[in-house]
Amino acid sequence: MKALRFYALVVAGLVLFPFVIHPIGGYPALATQILIVSIATMGLNLLVGYAGLLSYGQAMFYGVGAYMALLTISKFFPDHPNFWLALTLAIGFVTLMALLIGSLVVRLYGIYFALLTLAFAQMFFFIVFKWRDLTQGDDGISGVSIPPLPLGLTSLDLTTAFPPLDLGIFGNLSDVKYWYAFVAIVALGVLAFVRTLTQSQFGEVLGAIRENEGRSTFVGFEPARYKLAAFTIAGALTGLSGALRAMFDTSISPDALTVETSGNFVIYAVVGGVKTLLGPFAGTTIILFLQNVVSAKTDNWRLFEGIIFVLVIVFLPGGILGTFKRKRSRALLSETIRTTPPHDATQPTAGGAAL
Amino acid sequence: MPGQILDGFIHGLVYVAIALGLTIVFGMLRLVNFSHGAFYAIGAYVGYAVTERFGLIAGLIAAPIAVALFAFIYDRALLRYFYEKDTTAQILLTFGVAIVVEETLRLIFGGTTRTYTIGAVLSGSLNLGFITYPTYRVGLAVGIIILILAVYFFIERTDYGLIVRAGVRDRTMVQLLGGNVAQASTVIFVLGASLAGFVGAAASPIYDVDPGTGFQFLVPSFVVIVIGGLGSFWGAVIGGLIVGELQSLTGLLFPPGADVVIYVAMALVLLIKPTGLFGQSEIIGR
Repeated sequence: MKALRFYALVVAGLVLFPFVIHPIGGYPALATQILIVSIATMGLNLLVGYAGLLSYGQAMFYGVGAYMALLTISKFFPDHPNFWLALTLAIGFVTLMALLIGSLVVRLYGIYFALLTLAFAQMFFFIVFKWRDLTQGDDGISGVSIPPLPLGLTSLDLTTAFPPLDLGIFGNLSDVKYWYAFVAIVALGVLAFVRTLTQSQFGEVLGAIRENEGRSTFVGFEPARYKLAAFTIAGALTGLSGALRAMFDTSISPDALTVETSGNFVIYAVVGGVKTLLGPFAGTTIILFLQNVVSAKTDNWRLFEGIIFVLVIVFLPGGILGTFKRKRSRALLSETIRTTPPHDATQPTAGGAAL
Repeated sequence: MPGQILDGFIHGLVYVAIALGLTIVFGMLRLVNFSHGAFYAIGAYVGYAVTERFGLIAGLIAAPIAVALFAFIYDRALLRYFYEKDTTAQILLTFGVAIVVEETLRLIFGGTTRTYTIGAVLSGSLNLGFITYPTYRVGLAVGIIILILAVYFFIERTDYGLIVRAGVRDRTMVQLLGGNVAQASTVIFVLGASLAGFVGAAASPIYDVDPGTGFQFLVPSFVVIVIGGLGSFWGAVIGGLIVGELQSLTGLLFPPGADVVIYVAMALVLLIKPTGLFGQSEIIGR
């Protein structure tokens, strides 16, 4: 019942999202990009929030997924470009990559883990940057024509707009492309996957390892396996996100693999609130939306981003949703205390027993 | 070839000077400072602004002072509240501050690359017997080596150094014995920062300055301290020289690999010996 209510609210939110941001300067393409990037942030949240592993190298999965998708269409199979094939190859390759890198990095903790993921990301950045024959170096790949999405017997061109319908201050239904619907369904699927995962035994063991790795080992779990699984899933989700983003933008450049990109995922996750299910959505939405608004007026967006990030770290260490959640549970707690009569008032003689 | 080795050596020395601050602060406070590159960048820009007006000597004096001041305020106002927090919170805070500093520098100085104007004497070349090499680079190398030795003697021979070395081993015990670890920590932090600030000004006539400079030098400096061993003094020195030479010589033999090779080296070290070449948590590796 609780799950049903959760999903009903999320679906309603996804349907309304491209329209409610219209009056405050948003537009459907931005909504699409936000949802796509949120998928990567959800992956990172699984690592940082649930497994307690701060990765500074998520850009490698994002970038490689993006390049794989576009190269599959334009270079590997130019005669038979296929949407699903591009997506499958991208995710498959990145998953394998995450599994291999993960098996090396999950043995490390804290700063060593952060620095080793950073090192791997730098390797992939320079490989993509220098391998001009394949990736066109710093020019990047652009203008790739994305094949329609095959669905059974027919196929759907995702750049098609919905039929026109005037919605007043919320814009027009025809502003929204099929891309948004497709991405919303994928994001919903990812959310359901992450929710199931974190509420399963897997999620609980992950939390136990985060809190006390030694003790969880004594109980009989193998921390390295759980961490590797989390790292691989996070990598795969980030690869999916990168592939979708590249196909939506029809272009990609090595910027997708920089330290700055890796850092951005960390910013989205932390601002929204790690260890919360919807935090990644909240963080990605707030930052990307502000970026869009502020960039239109000044060149100094990144200064704003840095200041917001520092303010969140100093004043809202749980992130925006995390702080909200804690406030609410504290309010509930004080409510319970207030409505429960104190023992010594009603039963003065039981005071000793209560101690 | 000898030119390449010398270039790598100088590059390595710059990394050493940046990495020393990183590694000592890590040893002392268990703090990994993602904003350490910002000290280099502030030094580079302050040095630039002062050099353009009053000459290079003034620039080289102003840069470390300005950075020391910044680092002191930063430490007292913000960073000290994060000393006791977990690694993740420290990384996130210092990463955020690094962005703010970088972007503030961009706001003040613009996004274009700045080049120092140095005097005609320093722009010349020196005959070293086996090679003719730019005078400025020779001077830079000598200057950094003197600084490294000065830091070594400060830590090894002074009372402060004693507290620092002991604080690395056992913070609580030093406090119980009456050593002011908190003050020593701040002194060490400011010292490491001003060292990076000085090198920012001193190295920029060679490498130029732009707002991204801080991160450009920070990331390889992480490689340096990981290879050398986090917290190790001589580890940072040897690690810096290894990284400088690796970059330079790979650039000669296989140019596309020049930037990748140091990360491969770092990954190998972390995977084979995570504590680095010179072990862990020793400021003076013996």
